[in-house]
Amino acid sequence: MGVNFNMASLRLRESQIMKIHYLTGIVSLFAVAIHILFRLIMPFGQSLLYQNVISNYHNIFYALLLESILVLISIHGFNGLRIILIELKQSSRWESTITILVLISMIGIIAYGTRTIVIASGL
Amino acid sequence: MNNVPDNKDFTMTTSGREGIRGWLNPTRYGWERVSYWLQRLTGLGLLIYFIGHVYETSSLTNGINAWNSMLQLTQTLGGHLFLLFVIGASTFHTVNGIRLIFTESGKGLGKPGRPDYPYHAASLNYKQKSGIWVAILLACIAMLYGGMVLFGQGG
Repeated sequence: MGVNFNMASLRLRESQIMKIHYLTGIVSLFAVAIHILFRLIMPFGQSLLYQNVISNYHNIFYALLLESILVLISIHGFNGLRIILIELKQSSRWESTITILVLISMIGIIAYGTRTIVIASGL
Repeated sequence: MNNVPDNKDFTMTTSGREGIRGWLNPTRYGWERVSYWLQRLTGLGLLIYFIGHVYETSSLTNGINAWNSMLQLTQTLGGHLFLLFVIGASTFHTVNGIRLIFTESGKGLGKPGRPDYPYHAASLNYKQKSGIWVAILLACIAMLYGGMVLFGQGG
């Protein structure tokens, strides 16, 4: 429909990317608010005790919340970085390079954070 | 307010592009320009914090000693002050981001009119400016509350 697909690549229009940017921003606002509330339901220092944090990870819903925050903020943050870098300089080579580097960084952070969530859930 | 760069600006740069210096210059375009670069600077700061936070929490996987030694780095005066900056930056970025979503969808921009002297842009109106001020005010309140939690009892 709105996605221009060709054999070489899957390209999104900039307006579609901006909609994703806004949507990830708004959804992560609510997800991060719940994440912060988990630190404030008891004294802040106490909430960071190892056993308390691990017990948070054992809650499957909280683990899923953390995973969604990880994905949402990675998409939002690295796309924001892409926008800033493309504003500073414009050429098709620069834009392609930035897009590829940003995608690699985003996937790397999501993979590393997911590893923590999976291991901590099983501790 | 003069939004057109003077001749001096064109003679200083051969291509007309000023790069990061132009991006950071808040002097010519009023509060909207300040909001523009604050949104980007807070965004960059929050991305760096996010990457650091993902790395910091990964110490959980190495056991209680690794977690406690990582906490010792963050549970300091400097660590708490940095967290206060993160609270303020995230609040400003969120509220100003919501303002920008409304702006991009055409809300609060005013009606287009004939350009008469002194050429005040209808889009740069009090609704936009008050949105920026509300973002700054809420960031200050969030930092105040954050300070009470971090430096208060049990922080």
